[in-house]
Amino acid sequence: MTKQSKMSPEEQRLEKLQEQSEQKRRRRDKDRNVLQELNRALDAATRTLTKGLIRGFGNERWQSLTIPLLAIALSLVAISILVLMLGSNPLNVFTGILAGAGWIPKPSYGGGQSQLTDLISLSISLTPLLFGALGFVVAMRAGLFNIGIAGQMVVAGFAATVLVGYSDLPALIARPLVLVVGAIAGALAGALIGFLKHRFNIHEVVSSIMLNNIFIHVASYLIKANHLNHASRNMNAASAEARLLTEPVQFGEVAARLPVGFLVAIAMSFILWLFLTKTKQGFEMSAVGKSPKAAQYAGIKIGPTIVFAMALSGAMGGLAGVTHYLANVPAMTPDVLPALGFDSIAVAFLGVVHPLGAILAATLIATLSSGAVYMGSVAGVRHEVASVITGLILLFTACGGFLRAWLDNKKRSFADDENLKGGDAS
Amino acid sequence: MSHNEQHKEILLELRNVTKHFPGITACDAISLEIEQGEIYAILGENGAGKSTLASMIFGLYQPDEGQIFMRGKKVHIDSPNKAVALDIGMVHQHFKLISNYTVAQNIILGDEPKKRALGVFPYVDIKSAEDRIEQLSKDYGLEVDPRATISKIGVSTQQRVEILKMLYRDAELLIFDEPTAMLTPQEIESLLTVIDNLRSQGKTVIFITHKLDEVMQVCDRCAILAGGKLVDVSHIKDTSPAKMAAKMVGRDIEFSAKRPSKQIEETVLSVQNLRVEDSTGFPRVDDVSFEVRAGEIFAVAGVSGSGQVELADTIAGLVRPKRGKVMLKEQDLAKLNVRKHTESGIAYIPEDRQSVGLILDFALDQNLALRSYYQTPYCKTSLLNQKAFSDHADKLIADFDIRCARGAKTPVRGMSGGNQQKAIVGREIEQDADLLIFVQPTRGLDIGAIMSIRKRILDERDKGKAILLISLELDEVMDLADTIGVMYAGKMLEVAPATDLSMTKVGEYMMGVTAND
Repeated sequence: MTKQSKMSPEEQRLEKLQEQSEQKRRRRDKDRNVLQELNRALDAATRTLTKGLIRGFGNERWQSLTIPLLAIALSLVAISILVLMLGSNPLNVFTGILAGAGWIPKPSYGGGQSQLTDLISLSISLTPLLFGALGFVVAMRAGLFNIGIAGQMVVAGFAATVLVGYSDLPALIARPLVLVVGAIAGALAGALIGFLKHRFNIHEVVSSIMLNNIFIHVASYLIKANHLNHASRNMNAASAEARLLTEPVQFGEVAARLPVGFLVAIAMSFILWLFLTKTKQGFEMSAVGKSPKAAQYAGIKIGPTIVFAMALSGAMGGLAGVTHYLANVPAMTPDVLPALGFDSIAVAFLGVVHPLGAILAATLIATLSSGAVYMGSVAGVRHEVASVITGLILLFTACGGFLRAWLDNKKRSFADDENLKGGDAS
Repeated sequence: MSHNEQHKEILLELRNVTKHFPGITACDAISLEIEQGEIYAILGENGAGKSTLASMIFGLYQPDEGQIFMRGKKVHIDSPNKAVALDIGMVHQHFKLISNYTVAQNIILGDEPKKRALGVFPYVDIKSAEDRIEQLSKDYGLEVDPRATISKIGVSTQQRVEILKMLYRDAELLIFDEPTAMLTPQEIESLLTVIDNLRSQGKTVIFITHKLDEVMQVCDRCAILAGGKLVDVSHIKDTSPAKMAAKMVGRDIEFSAKRPSKQIEETVLSVQNLRVEDSTGFPRVDDVSFEVRAGEIFAVAGVSGSGQVELADTIAGLVRPKRGKVMLKEQDLAKLNVRKHTESGIAYIPEDRQSVGLILDFALDQNLALRSYYQTPYCKTSLLNQKAFSDHADKLIADFDIRCARGAKTPVRGMSGGNQQKAIVGREIEQDADLLIFVQPTRGLDIGAIMSIRKRILDERDKGKAILLISLELDEVMDLADTIGVMYAGKMLEVAPATDLSMTKVGEYMMGVTAND
C-alpha cells in the first residue's frame, strides 16, 4: 500500500493498464488452449480414420477391386440421399433397376416377356459396351488414349451394313462375315490414328476426335445419297440374316432372339487378357506404354507397335460398331455419333483398365441403363435417376486415382513416423 | 582489367556454411569473403558443391550450419524473394523465362509497375517498363529489344534478359551459375565483356564455372571447391591454369580398385570421324575417332555435356550418326537398328537408369529380360514363358547380389538405386557381349555399390571384353582406365594410355586447355 501510494498517478494508471492486458492475455491463452485441445482431438480422429482407410483400402494387391467397389458404394449412398430428398424409397429404386434388367423377377410380365427376355436384352446392350471398353483398354496398355471408338464404330457399322447387310448371303455366312468385316474396318480406322501419330507425331486424341467427325459425316453423306430409309430417316436396315441376333428361340412360353456377339465379347475379354500378359506382342505394347525410351533401348520398334495397338483397339471398336448397329439398334442414324463409344471409355476406367474388369463394369453400367425405364414406372422417380447413378459411379471412380495416391502417401508418412520412433528408441 | 588492390568493403561473407543432403555433405564449413565490385569465381568439378553454395546465397536452400553476412549484417535468406530484397540476383543455368511473353513482360513479372487509368482502373504500365529496360540495356551494353518475344530470340539474348531482370530489381550482387554452358564461343566472348561491364559499373559478380580459361579472362579472385570443401582462394594474377586444375582434382583417391590390364588384344570397336547432331543441327559429337581393344578399358573423361552421352547412344544404336562409321570387329553398325546392335555384341548400361535402362512399373524378372525377352527360352512362337523369366531372374539375383523385397516379382520402382543399377549391370554383363558400354555406372550410388560395380567392370575386362567407360568422375576414370580419351565440346581432344596422363593433365583437357605449360 505504501508502495502504491508512492507511485505517481501516471504510474498507477500504467500499472492498471498492464494488469488489464495481462488478464486479456491469460484469457486469450485459455481460449487458445481449448482450441489446441480441440485440434489435438481432431488430429487423433483423422489419424484413426486414415489408419482405418489404409487398413481397408491400402493393400495394393486388392486396390483394383476395393477402390471401384468403394466408388460404387459411395455413389449408392449419394443416390439414396437424393431419392430420399425426392420423397421416395431408395430401396424401390435399386430393386426396380435390378428387376428391369432381369436380375430379379418382376411381379408380372407382359405378353411374350419373362425374366429371361429381360436378361437377353441386357446382354444385347451390354455387348457393344464391352467391346468398346476392350478397345479402350488395349490402346491404354500401349499408352494411347483412343477417344475414337465412336468413329471406329461408325466405320464398321456402315461397312458391314453395306457390304454384308444388303447382300443375299445366308445367315450362317453373313453373321460371321459381319463380325469379320466390322473388325477389319475398325482396325483400319484405328491403324490410321496410330499411323498419324507414328509418322507425323499427331497426338491420338486430336486425330481421333477429328476423324470421329470425318467418319460420321462421310458415312451420313453416303447414307443420305444411297441408303436412306425415308420412313424412319435412318439407314436402310440390314437383312435379318446379317443382323447379329439369331432366329427366335422358344423358351417355354416365350420366344427370344439371342445375341451372337455376347459370347464373342466375353471370350474376347479373356483372349485379350492372355494376349496382353502372356505374349511377346503384349509385352512390347506394355513396354511402349510404360516407357517409350526404355522400349526403344530394349530394341522394340515403337512406331509399328503403336500402329498395331491402335489397329487392335480399332478392331474392338469395330466389333462394338457392328454389335450396336446390327443388334442393339435397328439401324444407323445419320449425323449422330454413338454416345456408346464415349460411355465405353468410362466403362474401361470403372473396370480399372483391365479386360476382365471391363466385363464387370460393362455389366453394371448396362444394368443401370437397361433397368432404368422399368424402375421409373415402379419407384415413383423419373428414370433419369439411373443415369445419375451411372454418372456418380464414374465420378467416384475418377477419384479412385486420387484416393490411391493419397493412401500411398499416408501409408508412407505413417511408416516414416514408425521408423523415426524406432530410431529414437534404439 | 586492372583491379585496384586497396582495401574494399566486404559485400558478402559466408562463415562456416555447411549443407548436408542424405548421404553426402554438399558444402562443408565453407567460409568466403566477397568484396564490393569484384568478379569472384567459384571453380570446381561436377558435384564439388558450387551450385549448392550459390543456391544457399540465393535462398533456394538454407544452410544447416554457419552464417551469411550481407554488408556486415547477419542475414537469414530463406527464399529467393528475400535474396532479391537484399539486392542479390541469380542467372540460372537453365533460364526461367516465359517463352510467349515479351522481354519486358518477363523482366517485370512479379514486380509490375502499376498505374490507374482515370484514377480507378489498375493496369500494368508496360510503356515505362520498356523505357527503363531500354535505358538499362544501353547503360550496361546489353543489346536487347524489350518488345521482342522470348521464343523468337536466341539463347544468348535470353541470357541478357535474365541479367536485365536482376538489374531491373537493382541487384548489387549477381550470381551466374555456369552461364557459358549453353553458349557458342563468340557468345561466351560477348558475355564476358558484359560481365566486365557490370564490374566497371560497380556491381559485384559471383561466377560459377568449371572452365578455367573464362576464369583467367575476367575474374579477380577464384575459390576452388572439391568434394564440398573449400580447397583454395587465390588472386588470378598470382596463379596459373595448371595450378588451379591441380587443386580442383588434386584430392586423394579414396578407393582404388586399380589392376593393370593383363593383355590388350585385337580391336573390337572402331569409331571413325563420327559426327552426331542434335535436332537443331548443332554438332554434339564432332569428328571423333578412336578404337577400343579387347581386354582394354577405354575411359572417356569430360565435363557434363561434352558429347559423351551422345557418343554412347550412337554406338549403342539409339541415335543415328550424321556422318562417320561405327565398326564392331568387321561389321559396320551405322545402318542397323537397336536390336541388331545388341545382337551383334554390344551391351549398354545407359546414363539414365530409371527411364532408359529399366521400366519401373515392370517386375524385376521382366526387366532382367528386357533385352532378350523375344528369344528362347523366354518366348516361343510369341508366347512368353513366365517360368523362364523368373528362373533367369533368380539366377541373376543370386549372382549379382540384387536385393529385392519380393524376389523376381518385385516391382523395380520400389528398389534402391544401387540395386536397380546392379540389375542393369547384371543383365548387360550376362549377354556376354564383346563390347560393354558403361555410362556413369556409379552415379548416385553408395560406396558399397560403387565398389561392387567397379569390380565387375574390371572382371569383365580381365575376361577379354572391350569396355567403353564414360564417367564424369575423374577419380573413376583415373582408377579404372587403361586408355583415356578426353572430350571437350563434342571433340576428342586427347587419347593416350592412362599411364602417360596425370590427373592434372586430364583435368586441363577437360577444361579445354590444350596449350602445354
